[in-house]
Amino acid sequence: MNEEKGIAEQASPLVLEKLAAHHSEALLAQRETRGRVGVVVRKEQAYAVLEYLKTDPELAYTYLVDVTAVDNSQMESELMQFDYARFMVVYQLYSYQGQCRVQVKVPVHENDLSVPSVTGLWRGANWLERETYDMFGINFEGHPELRRILMPDDFEGYPLRKDYPLRGRGERESFNFEKQNV
Amino acid sequence: MGLAKTHIQSGQGAAQTDGNIITTTIDKVVNWGRKNSLWPMPFGTACCAIEMMATLASKFDLSRFGSEAIRFSPRQSDLLIVSGRISIKMMPVLKRIYDQMPDPKWVISMGACASCGGVFDTYTLIQGVDQFIPVDVYIPGCPPRPEDLIDAVMQVQQKIASGAAPKGIEVAYE
Amino acid sequence: MQGGLERATGEKMVLNFGPQHPATHGTLRIVLELDGESILKATPHLGYLHTGFEKLGEHLDYNQFIVVTDRMNYLSPLSNNFGYVLAVEQLLGIEVPKRCQYIRILMAELSRLADHLLWLGTAALDLGAFSVFLYSFREREKLYSIFEKTTGARLTTSYTRVGGVFRDLYDGFETDARDFISNFPKALKETHTLLTKNRIWMDRTKGVGPISADEAINYGLTGPCLRAAGVAHDLRKAEPYSAYDELTFDVPVGSNGDAYDRYLVRMEEMMQSCRLVTQALDNLPDGPVNVEDNKITMPHKSDAYGHIEGLIHHFKIVMDGHGVQPPKGDHYCATESPNGELGFYIVSDGSGTGYRIRIRPPSFLNFQALPHMLEGGMVSDTVAVLGSLNVIAGELDR
Ligand code: SF4
Repeated sequence: MNEEKGIAEQASPLVLEKLAAHHSEALLAQRETRGRVGVVVRKEQAYAVLEYLKTDPELAYTYLVDVTAVDNSQMESELMQFDYARFMVVYQLYSYQGQCRVQVKVPVHENDLSVPSVTGLWRGANWLERETYDMFGINFEGHPELRRILMPDDFEGYPLRKDYPLRGRGERESFNFEKQNV
Repeated sequence: MGLAKTHIQSGQGAAQTDGNIITTTIDKVVNWGRKNSLWPMPFGTACCAIEMMATLASKFDLSRFGSEAIRFSPRQSDLLIVSGRISIKMMPVLKRIYDQMPDPKWVISMGACASCGGVFDTYTLIQGVDQFIPVDVYIPGCPPRPEDLIDAVMQVQQKIASGAAPKGIEVAYE
Repeated sequence: MQGGLERATGEKMVLNFGPQHPATHGTLRIVLELDGESILKATPHLGYLHTGFEKLGEHLDYNQFIVVTDRMNYLSPLSNNFGYVLAVEQLLGIEVPKRCQYIRILMAELSRLADHLLWLGTAALDLGAFSVFLYSFREREKLYSIFEKTTGARLTTSYTRVGGVFRDLYDGFETDARDFISNFPKALKETHTLLTKNRIWMDRTKGVGPISADEAINYGLTGPCLRAAGVAHDLRKAEPYSAYDELTFDVPVGSNGDAYDRYLVRMEEMMQSCRLVTQALDNLPDGPVNVEDNKITMPHKSDAYGHIEGLIHHFKIVMDGHGVQPPKGDHYCATESPNGELGFYIVSDGSGTGYRIRIRPPSFLNFQALPHMLEGGMVSDTVAVLGSLNVIAGELDR
């Protein structure tokens, strides 16, 4: 057990080191808190960084754990830190080889709501990105079928944005049974 | 469909004559049969469905009440058990299944979610299926215990035996 | 259902499977494109049980959200409770007492048994083996009564609290649990005799819905589905959380990644869970079950009702802005739930309610690989493969 923990501890800085060496221009911030390594990268280089993390033989983050987003519009400190980018797309990666995790965040501005899709790297990204699109309205460029996944196709609005009310905008009381294609 | 009216007319109860002949009304016989052979259509979506399964399985054994003939085809069943959360995406499906069931049909709304939305007062959850389909018996609980479901089935049986019209027909006649 | 009845003439037939079909357990829907009986394309549709858990997380405080986690994977609510509070505790930077860790492991492993049992019952039921369903529910009912005595509820347990558990184990717990564990292998053997070498069961699951190790990783599969494909990965071993590093158990691995292997892996996992429960019972330490921090732990109910100090204490914790308040920041924490990696990504803005709570559900990613497993197979395999994945709609759609 201790041995495994040892590997994880060594590997954690490794990813930061390697990123600093190969993609220093992409890094906006990095941190290591509570045993979790995280980096914030520029949107333009996000795909390159993720591809590097997956394909580099020493890192081999072959497992995409999760893709999601956070709407920072009510968190002033985060907003200020990253040039008032409203959304933060969050990727969690895991490496079976090094048994360690890394978190990659990509700030996205509201006037340019798109990030490159990573479906080409991990097939598991497909639905995760669709869900993020469904909930936040973030477009994933190059995604094979970017449409709603959890909400009905004719739903309007993005429920997990902070300006969307918890109880909705009346969708649950009124809908047209005939219109729905069951 | 004329069930509600016939019930009003058939006031007399059963009477026994000397030669061991029982006279009764057709309605009573039919209702007796219906009551003891309910064919439920389980519309289980979430956690409540697990308790519904438990009711059907070995320990609680719903077949003791004549309602174990679970049919997943709405056309064959006369008791709809809505158990679980119904979202705005699911409601049209539920409505369609309800419409496909032949009359007379009864509906049990099992659990807090189906009855009123339960703990989930959110954008996607229907706050009570009775906004869209008529419900005969509500079961409180999150989830209700299997005994509660059995009780609800028995209430439906009583309702049938009493000759009262299902809620759906009442609503249609209003 | 829609579409024509053309045979293998190259013309396609579209078959709508679900959302209300006995084998979809309520809320899954797959649209199959068929050529005769073989599946050309399978398109899952989901969201029929979308409840807005994540949005709700932004409006409930950290302890209130535990109630919501019950309703996510309702086959094993205790594992969800565990995973969630662990994430909050890591964010807070606290560690619960040893006894609490052991109790949580006990409950998590028992609920893994309950989960696999229900999976076993329904998966067999879908393929027509009705007795297995009755047998597994017989065992599950015994677990239910243990859960009920411990937590107060059969299904929606809400047992854990941030910084501990709701209450200590009841007095006869050890006897009940040991009783159950000692009889369980016998019950499991019954199922083995019914299924494992059963010709029909083997024909319908062997070689059905296979996935290779590489593809399983690429799709992000976790849990028994991943291990059946031959990847020996279990978060309880890889990132031992709570007290798992003090207990010994094996990680069963399959080789073909087909439905039969997934069945075998789950069966073996149940035996391993029994081992874990026995060990945890043997080593169960004494002591408190909650962290000793008045800002986190609620006072005992008798205190809250009997003493003014207790009442004020209780009041302070449940009041907005006084209870559990993790520091600003975010944290991702994953646990091995019966279905795979259950992760919680919590963003805190320093207040008493989460700023964003993301749930990484194992079923979501496992279900995503379904088309890959189905395409090229026969239409009757759909039920077998779907059953073997154990997709829980509550967790899938959240
Ligand atoms: S009432 Fe409770 S147990 Fe039933 S579906 Fe709703 S949340 Fe689940």
